[in-house]
Amino acid sequence: MTTGVIHDLGYQHYDGPRLGRPAIVRALAWHSLRSAFGLGRGARAKIVPVLTFVVMCLPAVVNAVSTVHGGHRLFPYDTYVFRLRALVMIIFVAAQAPELVSRDLRSHVLPLYLSRPLRRLDYPLAKLVAFTAACLLMIEIPLLLLYLGTIVNAGGWSAIWAQTRALFPGLLIGALWAVLLAAIGLAIASCTGRRAYATGAIAIYFFLTWTLASILRGVAGGPSGPAGAPPGVPHVVPVAVPLAARLAGLISPPTVLEGVRQWLGGTSVSPVPPPGSVGVIYGVMLLALLAASLGWLAVRYLRAGLS
Amino acid sequence: MLACVTEMVIDIQALTKRYPREVTALDGLTVTFVPGITGLIGANGAGKSTLIKILLGLVPPTSGRANVLGHDTATSGDWIRGHTGYMPEHDCLPPDVSGTEFVTHLGRMSGLPRTAARERAAESLRHVGLYEERYRLIGGYSTGMKQRVKLAQALVGDPRLLLLDEPTTGLDPGGRTAMLDLIARIGGEFGISIVISSHLLGEVERICDHLVALEAGALLRADTISSFTSTQRVLAVEVDEGLPELAAELTRRGASCEPDGRVLLVQLAGEATYDLIRDTVADLGLPLNRLEQRRRQVAELFADQPELEATR
Repeated sequence: MTTGVIHDLGYQHYDGPRLGRPAIVRALAWHSLRSAFGLGRGARAKIVPVLTFVVMCLPAVVNAVSTVHGGHRLFPYDTYVFRLRALVMIIFVAAQAPELVSRDLRSHVLPLYLSRPLRRLDYPLAKLVAFTAACLLMIEIPLLLLYLGTIVNAGGWSAIWAQTRALFPGLLIGALWAVLLAAIGLAIASCTGRRAYATGAIAIYFFLTWTLASILRGVAGGPSGPAGAPPGVPHVVPVAVPLAARLAGLISPPTVLEGVRQWLGGTSVSPVPPPGSVGVIYGVMLLALLAASLGWLAVRYLRAGLS
Repeated sequence: MLACVTEMVIDIQALTKRYPREVTALDGLTVTFVPGITGLIGANGAGKSTLIKILLGLVPPTSGRANVLGHDTATSGDWIRGHTGYMPEHDCLPPDVSGTEFVTHLGRMSGLPRTAARERAAESLRHVGLYEERYRLIGGYSTGMKQRVKLAQALVGDPRLLLLDEPTTGLDPGGRTAMLDLIARIGGEFGISIVISSHLLGEVERICDHLVALEAGALLRADTISSFTSTQRVLAVEVDEGLPELAAELTRRGASCEPDGRVLLVQLAGEATYDLIRDTVADLGLPLNRLEQRRRQVAELFADQPELEATR
């Protein structure tokens, strides 16, 4: 390597190790996770993921500053995403899910994956794992920042323990958000190779159903107002919420997740009325949305061919 | 016996593929591919792409069996795809990554560890003739450079077999020649067996050792290149007038010919055919416009086949 002369050694066969299918799927998932944050791409690809991540973390940072000055924790863990940052997560999913799948459809790269040791469902599996992990990072890191910013000034082990116990349900709900948003986002994005269409479709789906859920709830006599009401506004839940209002949240993924949270015992106040006796339907709906998204992804990529 | 087995790169036995709605893509195809460069020739819809899909283990045959590199496509698709490079006909490159990044990634997808993928990507890009350009984004490449990247990604996993689907599509004549020379070099110096699918016989015959011709999902012919093309070479004779007379006289003197619009196609049997035509034209006193050797396209070859059958 010290000489500047390049010798043409001719063609050399490769006799090193060849990795098996699981390792290839892992490599594809890692590659996709990086691309979800624009890593390995140009500077422009990093704008949306970096901005949305910073905005996701902002409330946690504000909380940390506040606790340093002696305040209490400002935001609950389990409604952090729904009440403060659902919009940001939807923007992240709408912008980045197409980055993982629509891009490959657009440039017809799929035949190159199919002609390699990967099997048909390995590709969507790797993409799903990668994007779920990306959404997890987007959601759980701010929650951990919120936790850290709080316990640093908590004073006493019992206070820290109380924070830790409050954090875990929050992490669990955050994980549900990540899994559902990633699955729906990829399922919609896998329909088209045009990024702009995919982004638009994902955003429209989430916002439209959410607005609809909110309107239906209002019409049915539930608590009115936008679902993402600003934090700190005291919200009085009516004593008896009509059944129709309690069912209204079923049509939109964010309100389904919110219903599931309350069904699982989450107590933080919310513009979505507690589902009460119909809570289990929210659980079923969550699974149904997940199954529909994964089923569509499977069908979509089983049908894919070489051309 | 063992030598006999290793002589076959691809072994296909009574392979049939029917799609729903009674579409038969392959109809009892039996053929073997030996090491070297083999042209897979057929008109569009002859079953070439279906055959490639079956060989890669991506679609199961309706009946019959195909072995690639000694492995059954029905049970060892993963292994076969790990040792076979495939170059699709259509554009398959993302514009916003560099050639190096793209080929490295696909090297990893072929099962190479990280460092090996990087080294093999650099090497295969160098072998296809991309040097400094490989650090630029693919979107800025010319069609010829893109075809080279497509070839490099097929080569990156050090395959024992390359399946190239219409590798000269979209290239200008110069680009076609360069691409074919490159493929010939890979087949010769690198010792990799190659199957080139094409609908143009004249296009690939120059670099192929063998040809396999398909028609309507069945084997039309499989042979070495020399025996294949000798009967397919024709002379096109154009005269201003007296075409029927010339045809009649040539037939009487023992040449096999047929009119094709304004020209007469004469089977080229050897150097003597030139003399025969020259003498016949002179004897009849016809104004000879043009006399040229023609490489027939496969489509013509297929169109002629029923007639050949009938005259036999």
